[in-house]
Amino acid sequence: MAGYAPVVLHGLWVTIAICAASTLLGLAAGLAVELTRQHVRSLRVLCRVYVEGLRGAPILILLFLLYYAAPGLGLVLDPETAGVIGLGLYNGAYFAEIFRAGFESIPKGQVEAASSLGLSPLRILTRVKLPQMPALILPPAVNQVIILIKDSAVLSIITVPELTKETSKIINETFAIAEPLLVLALLYWALVEGVSQLGLKSERRLTRYLKRTEEGTRCS
Amino acid sequence: MDLGLIIGSLPALARGAAMTLFVSLTAIALGLVLGMLLSFARMSENRWLSAAARFYISALRGIPILVLLLMVFYLLPAVGLEAPPLVAAIAALTLNTAAFQAEIYRGGFAVIPPGQIEAARVLGLGETRIKTRILIPQVIWLVTPALVNEIIVLLKNSSLVSVIAVTELMRVSQQLVSKTYKPTEVYLAACLLYVLMNLCLSALGSRLRRRIGGASAGGRP
Amino acid sequence: MFMKIQNMETVIEIEGLTKRFGQATVLSDIDLRVYASEVVCLIGPSGSGKSTLLRCINFLESYEEGSVKVLGRLMGFEETPGGRRRASERVVRASRLALGMVFQQFNLWPHLTVLDNVTEALRSVKGLPRAEAEDIGRAMLAKVGLSEKVRSHPASLSGGQQQRVAIARALAMAPKIMLFDEPTSALDPELVGGVLEVMRDLAAEGMTMVVVTHEMGFAAEVADRVVFLEAGRLVEQGLAEQIFQSPESPRLKAFLKSWNDRRG
Repeated sequence: MAGYAPVVLHGLWVTIAICAASTLLGLAAGLAVELTRQHVRSLRVLCRVYVEGLRGAPILILLFLLYYAAPGLGLVLDPETAGVIGLGLYNGAYFAEIFRAGFESIPKGQVEAASSLGLSPLRILTRVKLPQMPALILPPAVNQVIILIKDSAVLSIITVPELTKETSKIINETFAIAEPLLVLALLYWALVEGVSQLGLKSERRLTRYLKRTEEGTRCS
Repeated sequence: MDLGLIIGSLPALARGAAMTLFVSLTAIALGLVLGMLLSFARMSENRWLSAAARFYISALRGIPILVLLLMVFYLLPAVGLEAPPLVAAIAALTLNTAAFQAEIYRGGFAVIPPGQIEAARVLGLGETRIKTRILIPQVIWLVTPALVNEIIVLLKNSSLVSVIAVTELMRVSQQLVSKTYKPTEVYLAACLLYVLMNLCLSALGSRLRRRIGGASAGGRP
Repeated sequence: MFMKIQNMETVIEIEGLTKRFGQATVLSDIDLRVYASEVVCLIGPSGSGKSTLLRCINFLESYEEGSVKVLGRLMGFEETPGGRRRASERVVRASRLALGMVFQQFNLWPHLTVLDNVTEALRSVKGLPRAEAEDIGRAMLAKVGLSEKVRSHPASLSGGQQQRVAIARALAMAPKIMLFDEPTSALDPELVGGVLEVMRDLAAEGMTMVVVTHEMGFAAEVADRVVFLEAGRLVEQGLAEQIFQSPESPRLKAFLKSWNDRRG
């Protein structure tokens, strides 16, 4: 059984790489969709369809559409690419909502102060709003990444050689069931716990500027 | 795009969707009972009970449903429990949603002012009566929006039970694809059915949210 | 009035009561007796421990030393040959039945109607059938002047009305003693009167009452005895007129002066 450790580790590595790529794609898609929704009136409905549509569909069927149906339209993707695009765009819908809540939680007065000083809307976005985003969206975003990691197990169904797929190969080859499944469950759990601890740690770092220092408290 | 094919497969897809709803709602209902018990265990003063509940909730929230499904489906027979796919599917979804529901209920209990419980204790109400008469009715009402959200998540997750051959919407569409070789039409139709079901649910959810938001705002002095 | 007290039986007997929260001592060595049909008001600055003292009486708070006896029964503990032991949940519950309590925040159950709030304990604790419980409930609500609100939910009532429902809820269980924990502090000034009115009627009927209050006017008018606490100690107690007209301790004088100053 120990001989299979490299196989499992390879699967783990693929899972991590795919989740990282999907998270980046999802964040980019989410921010793009939310900014479009805010600034381009004519595309508002389309953004809504994207968000509501993707959030209403199971990830599995989106992957099937990308992997089995897209070739019929001339788009042939390898499993990994289909997986990253599917997971990324699917989570993009959730990240868009997270960004929306983030933007909404910035007090209006800050924006008014900026525009009364003559800052352009683009400057307000890049200097006032976006820099605050990481601290504002971190907790829900970390939560979403955890969901993404767990959803990535579904990629095994379209034959991406990630953790679940590699482990089920072991099951098929060795006919041992309990041990591989247990290791699989523990690895996901560890991954999820790790990300959530990392999230808590960076939350403390990112929100440090919001807390008054000891001195500041005494002065006020 | 072969519209005739989509229309022709609608009855089969609808039967699949009915199975999807059945599996999801059964798991939600069973998960409600298990989740409520878990949240009580989690808040219990008994340290071992509380730690056990915490462990369960953390583990089940950390394991992908697909993995849990495989565990239930393959490991139950290994310990001598032969479970048909449908039972294994509902069991796995229940075990999963119970962990999430437990946290939802804990959040609900946390917002009930402790004074209400003190008032009940002072009048001599027993702990069980306090739970069934004072706490649970309010918590269920307070968490309905979160619960509707959980139904949506579970409904989507239920597509995974297709891998152990439960003929719900996902499985039915796979069968149709292998018969017709038209993945675009069939998967798109199935996808739309999922979206439709979930849009109805989320409309219901936001309606409840408005109602409850108003009620609870007036409910607290 | 003094004669009345002398001849009455003791219903609450507190001796050497000491209560700590971690390192902090919130009540130290309190001795206090309450006699039947007496109205005792507990006054003092916030944080003086008066609410905690009230909550110790019905064992909503446990205590470390001393004893609280209600109708001769030790609250929260059982004396055994081997020493004092924490009483079981069931015993605590039974010994609380002699005590009704009204809270600052009313603590009504928002999902139940006004009548259900009042009848819940009658049905589940005393086991009365619904019809009988509701007769009592209606009578109690009539007593506090809320007959027409029987079917309403608490959220639709004013704060003053909610507090009167809370009083009816406590009275329905026919307690021997009523405890009031700042019953008017959460109310808008114009709603205070109705609640005090109900309490005045209760006192006139001969109900034994222990009231934590900031309403000095009410204390002066209704209380037989006033007890002044500060920093967890019972500093001074006496007949109401004695406490308000000729306070002895400098701390009580300072407290009454600051209160009068605030009043303008």
